[in-house]
Amino acid sequence: MEIEFKVNGENVKIDVSPKKRLLDILREDLNLTGTKEGCGKGECGACTVLFNGERVNSCLVPALQLPGSSVVTVEGLRRWKSYPAIERAYVEHGAVQCGFCMTGFAMSTVALLKEQTFPLSREEIKWGLGGNLCRCTGYSKILDAVEEISHRDDILEQVHEDWQHEI
Amino acid sequence: MKSNQPLNSEKVFRPANLDELDALAAQTAEGVTYVAGATDLLVQEERWKSARILVDLTAVKALHATLEVRENGVLIGAAVPLSRLIRHPLIRERLPILVETCRQIGSVQIQNRASLGGNIANASPAGDTLPVLSVLEAELRIGPRQNGEFEKLSLDQVMLGPGQTSLNGNRYIAQIFIPFPPRDAFWYFRKVGQRQALAISKVSLAVLGKKKEEKIEEIRICPGSVTPQIVRAQKTESLLRGQPLTEERIEKARAAIECEVSPITDIRSTTEYRRRITGELLREALYLWLRN
Ligand SMILES: Cc1cc2nc3c(=O)[nH]c(=O)nc-3n(C[C@H](O)[C@H](O)[C@H](O)COP(=O)(O)OP(=O)(O)OC[C@H]3O[C@@H](n4cnc5c(N)ncnc54)[C@H](O)[C@@H]3O)c2cc1C
Ligand code: FES
Ligand code: FES
Repeated sequence: MEIEFKVNGENVKIDVSPKKRLLDILREDLNLTGTKEGCGKGECGACTVLFNGERVNSCLVPALQLPGSSVVTVEGLRRWKSYPAIERAYVEHGAVQCGFCMTGFAMSTVALLKEQTFPLSREEIKWGLGGNLCRCTGYSKILDAVEEISHRDDILEQVHEDWQHEI
Repeated sequence: MKSNQPLNSEKVFRPANLDELDALAAQTAEGVTYVAGATDLLVQEERWKSARILVDLTAVKALHATLEVRENGVLIGAAVPLSRLIRHPLIRERLPILVETCRQIGSVQIQNRASLGGNIANASPAGDTLPVLSVLEAELRIGPRQNGEFEKLSLDQVMLGPGQTSLNGNRYIAQIFIPFPPRDAFWYFRKVGQRQALAISKVSLAVLGKKKEEKIEEIRICPGSVTPQIVRAQKTESLLRGQPLTEERIEKARAAIECEVSPITDIRSTTEYRRRITGELLREALYLWLRN
C-alpha cells in the first residue's frame, strides 16, 4: 500500500506491504539504520522510536498504521540541541560499551524526561527504562547517567524546548 | 473510506468513524482482523501472517481517543493506549487499581500502544487487566451497533476461555465503562511472574473491598492466569462478606480460595504451585487490609 508519513520532520512516500514493520521500513526502505533490531518481539527496546510523540517499539508497528503519522528516529534525535549532553552523560558514567542498545536508551531517555514530573526518583527512572535491555553494562551505570541528567536543569530545559520543535 | 488492495490480496481498512466501522463489520462476510496496538498481533506470527482483511481501530476516534469521565465512572475507548489511563489525573485518583495494573504491563513502550480492548479480545487467561476489570465490574460495549445501540456485556460474557471470545461475526469491543469504586475502598493487585519487567503473568490476584462498621460490606476477588476463564472466587467472597476481618477469617479465606481455583496446568507452572500462590496472595491482600 502507498503510505505517506513524516520521518524526522520530512515527508516520505513509500509503497510497501501493509504488514511490514516500521523497523524494517526505516532500515530497508529509508536507510535509517540507527534503529536496531534486537529481539523483534517488543522486549529489548533496541528498536525504540518516537511515534506521534510517544516512544514505541518499531518492531511492533505495522505499516498500515503509519499513514499521516510522525516518526522520530535516532538520526533525528541527533539533531536535537540536547542530544550531545545526553550522550556525554552516558559516556562519562561508563554506561556505553558495545553501544548496540544506545539508540533505544537515548530515545527512552528523552521520552522519560518529557513524560515525568521532576525530580525523578531512582525507582521512577528504573521503571521508565524497564523496556530497554542492555547486555553489557549492568543497569546501575545507565541509571546513574539518567539520574544526573534529570537533575541538570539546563539539559532538562533544552530537552523540553527540543520536544516542542518535534511535535 | 480508504481501502487498499495490494498485490498479495491483503485488504486494509482504516475507517474514519463509527458509522464506517459498523458498516464494514456488518457487510464483510469474511472474518476481519482488528488491529489496535498490535502488541499481541505482531508477536503471534501464524495468526498475523494469515490475516487477510485488516481493520485499523486506531483510525476510529470513538475507539482510539474516547476518555470520558462521568460522575459515576469513566468510559474508555477500547483502543485507547494504556499510558493515557496511567497519566490521567482523575483515573489515577479514582481507579488506582487499574492504573497500577497498567503500569505493570510490559514496558512504557508497550503501554504507549497496548489497549484494554486488545487485552480482552486476545483472551489470554494471563491478561493482566482481566481480573481487575472483573472486580471493577466493567461493562463492555460491543459493536456493531444495533438500532444505534452498543450491546452491553460483562467480561465473562466476552472472554470465554484461552483464545476464545463471544466476538464472532466481526463483532468488536467499542468501549469499556468502568464504574468508580467508593473512594475509601481497599484495593490490591499483584502478579507473580517469571520476569520483572516483561512478565506475562503466571499468577495474579485482584481484590476490591469495602468495610462498614468493622465488617466487610463488599468484597470482590478475582484470580488471574490460574483458571481458563476469568471468574471471581464467589465462594471465598461469600465466606468474607458481612463478616469482621480477623486473622482467623483470613486463614479460612486462604484455604477456601485454594480449593476454589482450578488451575490450568502448563509448562510454566504446576497446578499445586498456582493454587498455593493464589492462597498466599489472598492472604497478603487481606492482611494488608486488616492493618491499614
Ligand atoms: C513485550 C511484551 C510484554 C507484554 N507484557 C504484558 C503483560 O505484562 N501483561 C499483559 O496482560 N499483557 C502483556 N503483553 C500483551 C499485550 O501487550 C496486551 O495483551 C495488550 O493489552 C494487547 O493490546 P493491543 O491493543 O496491542 O492488541 P492487538 O495486538 O492490537 O490485538 C490483540 C487481539 O485482540 C483483537 N482486538 C484488538 N482490539 C479489539 C477490539 N476493540 N475489538 C475486538 N477485537 C480486538 C485483535 O484482532 C487481536 O486478536 C505484552 C506484550 C509484549 C509484546
Ligand atoms: S527489536 Fe523491538 S523490542 Fe526488541
Ligand atoms: S552497551 Fe552493549 S547492549 Fe548495551
